[in-house]
Amino acid sequence: MSGNGHNHDHPHPGTGRTATPHALRVRAMEKLLVEKGVLTEAEIQDRISYMDSRSPANGARLAAKAWTDEAFKERLLTDTKSAALELGVDASGPVEFIVVENTPEVHNLIVCTLCSCYPRAILGRPPDWYKSFEYRSRAVKEPRAVMREFDYEPPEGIEVRVHDSTADIRYMILPMRPEGTEGMSEEELAELVTRDSLVGVTEVGRVR
Amino acid sequence: MSFADGESIRVRDLDKGGHVRAPRYVRGKRGEIVHLLGEFKNPEDLAYGEYERPTKPLYRVLFRQSDLWEDYEGNSDDTLVVDIYEHWLEGA
Amino acid sequence: MSGPHDLGGAKDFPGPIDKSQHEVEDWERLTDAITTALDGKGIKTTDQHRRAVESLENYGELGYYERWAAATEKLLVEKGILTKEEIDERAAEIKREWGGE
Repeated sequence: MSGNGHNHDHPHPGTGRTATPHALRVRAMEKLLVEKGVLTEAEIQDRISYMDSRSPANGARLAAKAWTDEAFKERLLTDTKSAALELGVDASGPVEFIVVENTPEVHNLIVCTLCSCYPRAILGRPPDWYKSFEYRSRAVKEPRAVMREFDYEPPEGIEVRVHDSTADIRYMILPMRPEGTEGMSEEELAELVTRDSLVGVTEVGRVR
Repeated sequence: MSFADGESIRVRDLDKGGHVRAPRYVRGKRGEIVHLLGEFKNPEDLAYGEYERPTKPLYRVLFRQSDLWEDYEGNSDDTLVVDIYEHWLEGA
Repeated sequence: MSGPHDLGGAKDFPGPIDKSQHEVEDWERLTDAITTALDGKGIKTTDQHRRAVESLENYGELGYYERWAAATEKLLVEKGILTKEEIDERAAEIKREWGGE
């Protein structure tokens, strides 16, 4: 299971003293921007808290509810922001969200070849591998080979559909509910949903 | 000119420098309109601070992977979907 | 025509994909925060940021947050909000304060 959102208490935007050139310049920009009144410390801290508070657990809860509540699933697929808000996930902002559903016929995979677009407002920061040149270049051209590296082989005959987020739409996957989960609670179901399955490099509960 | 769902299109290979969001690998390729997402401000304008230019229609476009890559190794019905602005598309 | 960022199908990175995850550092959180805070105040936009990232000459050599930091600096200087010199100066000062590790 990938990162649970940990809640650090950052009284100041971090006290880590990485002294690489870029890190020092970022610290300098912070100080200068605050001194010049362009940004306030509070505004900066708000952004840190915003990102730190978002994690794949949000996506897992959305998936679990969609699996158990057909009407919610419909709302998740047609108006993702509103559905997310029902579960207390505030994904408001200028970008749109589309949830694509894995089915017995289609397995979906998300990538942003041009940069690293990712449903951050729901899932938090993307993993390093998602931002890598290897993933960005290969996910569109050899999605099945990429999935194999994540130990996932899609079922025989299924269509693999890759979504390249080139505009202001962010994509997330609704994985398929695996067999043998009848009678599980939403909470138990949510625990099955990994971050990687929400991106599509794996599916829930299926291993090669 | 707008495109209908299911319509066959080709991605134009516009000679456009600077910030564009139509990736190289779909240029000149045939695909099919999934649907119109709506009208959005053009990132090619926004990237240079041009906030007042008109919005442009944005489409979800579906491609067959076997049409995109000569040596595609997956299933023959594997697909790829990209969000593309109307000015990058022409009827095919 | 297309910049160094247009990576779909590029053959230079055959993999395998490195699945390790580094612990996000404070300066990286800060980079993210400053960049998005500036967006929030309408001082810059995501599109301008992407354009700035794509224009970096050493795009391929920089890490993800380094690209963000460089792009944000580029935009701040372009917009006349900060100068490169004042950033140089302050960065050097901070390094001295920290004992120049």
